Amino acid sequence: MPRTKKIHALKRPKLRQSWSKFNLYNLSRVTAPPAANKTFFQQKWLAKSMLRSYHNPDVREGTWTRMFDRRLPAVVPMDHRYLAKYDGSEMASGRGMGVDKKPQRDARGNEIRGPEKTPYMHMTFHPLERRLDTAIFRALFASSTREARQFVVHGWVKVNGRKMIYPGYQLNPGDMFQVDPERVLYATGARKVKKDKAESNQELRRRAEERTAKKEKAEEDRAVGAVVEEEPENNTVEPTAEEDDTTTPQTYSTELKALLKRATAILDDSKRDLSGKRQQELRTFRKDLKSTFSKLRGMDESDLQETTESFETALAEILTKVPAEDLSKQEQAADAAASPSEPLPSNPQLQNKTTLDAHRARKDAELLQAALVRARANPIDTTKPYATPWTPRDYMSAFAFIPRYLEVNQNICSAVYLRHPVARPGLAEVPTPFHAETMALGFNWYLRRR
Amino acid sequence: MKRLRRDMQAWLNGPGKVFREPLPGSTNYMAAYDKQGKLLRTKRNQGEEGPEEDAVPLEKEPEIRKQEEEDGLDEQEMQKRYEQREFIRQRKAERDARGGLPRERPFDMRPYPLNQNFRSQPVLSEDLREVIYQQVAVNGVDVSTVSAAFSVDTRRVAAVVRLKTIEKQWIEENKPLAKPYQDAVMAMLPQTPYRPNIPGKMIPHETINDLPVHPKTRQQIFYPVSESRQFTREDAAKAFDEKLLPADERIAHPELIAIEKDTLAGLSREERFKRQQERDRVAAEAKAEQEEKRRKWEEKTQRVVPGRRWDFKFQDFSAEKVGKTGRARNAIGVRYGMPHEDRKRGMVKIPTSVE
Repeated sequence: MPRTKKIHALKRPKLRQSWSKFNLYNLSRVTAPPAANKTFFQQKWLAKSMLRSYHNPDVREGTWTRMFDRRLPAVVPMDHRYLAKYDGSEMASGRGMGVDKKPQRDARGNEIRGPEKTPYMHMTFHPLERRLDTAIFRALFASSTREARQFVVHGWVKVNGRKMIYPGYQLNPGDMFQVDPERVLYATGARKVKKDKAESNQELRRRAEERTAKKEKAEEDRAVGAVVEEEPENNTVEPTAEEDDTTTPQTYSTELKALLKRATAILDDSKRDLSGKRQQELRTFRKDLKSTFSKLRGMDESDLQETTESFETALAEILTKVPAEDLSKQEQAADAAASPSEPLPSNPQLQNKTTLDAHRARKDAELLQAALVRARANPIDTTKPYATPWTPRDYMSAFAFIPRYLEVNQNICSAVYLRHPVARPGLAEVPTPFHAETMALGFNWYLRRR
Repeated sequence: MKRLRRDMQAWLNGPGKVFREPLPGSTNYMAAYDKQGKLLRTKRNQGEEGPEEDAVPLEKEPEIRKQEEEDGLDEQEMQKRYEQREFIRQRKAERDARGGLPRERPFDMRPYPLNQNFRSQPVLSEDLREVIYQQVAVNGVDVSTVSAAFSVDTRRVAAVVRLKTIEKQWIEENKPLAKPYQDAVMAMLPQTPYRPNIPGKMIPHETINDLPVHPKTRQQIFYPVSESRQFTREDAAKAFDEKLLPADERIAHPELIAIEKDTLAGLSREERFKRQQERDRVAAEAKAEQEEKRRKWEEKTQRVVPGRRWDFKFQDFSAEKVGKTGRARNAIGVRYGMPHEDRKRGMVKIPTSVE
């Protein structure tokens, strides 16, 4: 395969081991090639050319044909209960073909057919899955095999703790490979707009889309003639704060903004129920938050680098404060809920309100702390080669899967190659986007030369 | 050419837009959508997953327990009911995390729509990895026992422990972890959860007793036997090859069969426990014996000379054992007068193993 940058074509689409949007589009329209007016040879040729364009075209054809093996690995899952109960002689009972079984039915009353067929043909390219570059791509550490290959060649990859510079290294079962986390974040993260900016092009596009959607909606409303009032601030803020629980990928600046607003509201609310000392604590706490927030806003507009650092220090300051705050809140909640010695308002409704406030305030502090911790683990840093705060690149989720022959730890960007991929009834472990028929034709092509 | 580009843009902004960002609380593979970019599983009726039962909030648990005690329920029944409630609670939490979407079906897990035989299979969740690490590295439980308990492959258990150990080391060294990457990737993948509150409903991660298809068993053979003969798996293995072991001994956890056989024999709990202990003792002894044998052999054949930085190990080797060409695979050393082959065309110099 020529070493060209243009590996994604639209006219004569080829599928690649890559997360590119071109590849996704090609994947959405690929079909099993029609065989009606082709000779068997033509079918096989076409099939093998399709397969090889996906299964590592960087490996030369001669090398691959030497690697090809017609004996394909498979396993059969055994049930230890069955093995304990029967010794195998029951297979010869009845009229020599085993006792007739009643057809079993599932919950919906459909007949359960016997075990599924083992898709041997899908295992044709299993020797290539042993390659280091392919394994790095399969472990989701690189966005394409080409990129994985580059990481290996450039010395970012270690095998069993030693630098390995050969992308064609055949992993042995039990081998651990590590990729430099910075490279992984670069490969899988969103791209920067400019070298000296932290934002990603994804983020910019998202904002632009939001703006146009808003504009369209406003125009629509005007056309209809219904004047819709701007919703009050509080209503728009609360849902975003609620979403924090589900950890939706959001920009942390907006997250912090929403939290600040909500925290302010609730702190104002619960102020009268707190002791003087706590009130003071809360006030300083809020002040800190506000100063951070203003810095954040400043950073959004201009003079980025200086404010980034001050933002960091402010964050650190708050982080040292929050646990104490959180603890005091917890104490307060516990006090209000449990201790009968404390003089509580005799009105049950009022009492209820106090506990509720404390509960809400505590929850809020927790939320805030979680957001801050997350922001700290994923800070804005313009020196990084990828957009910060780090977000996964577009279209990654459609390709995100980890085959069972790898065990991956994403935190340290390392993985262990457990065993060679195998086929089992109904399931093949070699990821390949092609139809079973195409795989069979490709297998036959290579069989011819053996 | 322009038309092709336009078509692609139209697809990316139309049906393909759903793939741009991950679907919260769910996987986001191509086979889960139709051609118009509509999620297939929203079309099916919601009743399939069972009716939405009311989940009892966790705060009410003590109250319910009190009520049950008053009603005079026994401990087992109470535990069973508690597990049921916990199960419903967790299912509701999962559904809420997905934003009310139905759960993925197996055929929604296919990243490649044409390939019916490839599915994205669940990975171990972060909690489960942590528990496995704790069990093996901290509590010192046997790897194969942990493997059988969580239904996770032995090799995977070992790998999890190995990787977790490095992770802990990094944390100790204050080396930055790729935490945002981990969160994002785990949110996109199907996971095997760890649910300690529902012991009865343990979700197996994978099949642990996989029998590799032996090349000798790939052929069909015609092997006449008398009708009266009890022809077992052992005999069948012999029919394929003299040295082939029966399936019972070739699987990863043959000890599970022994345990199950005891249960089927109707032995009492104490008796079963005693027999299991006996088996464990025998296995440990055999292992120790083998280790001793290996040590003795090493002592006999290897001489270790400690050096300044490395120890030099000397081992006897026969000069005759180098094959016809003197270049047998396991041959040692350099043959005098024999040129190196590594500059020859087609000679691969990539290492075949590391350490």
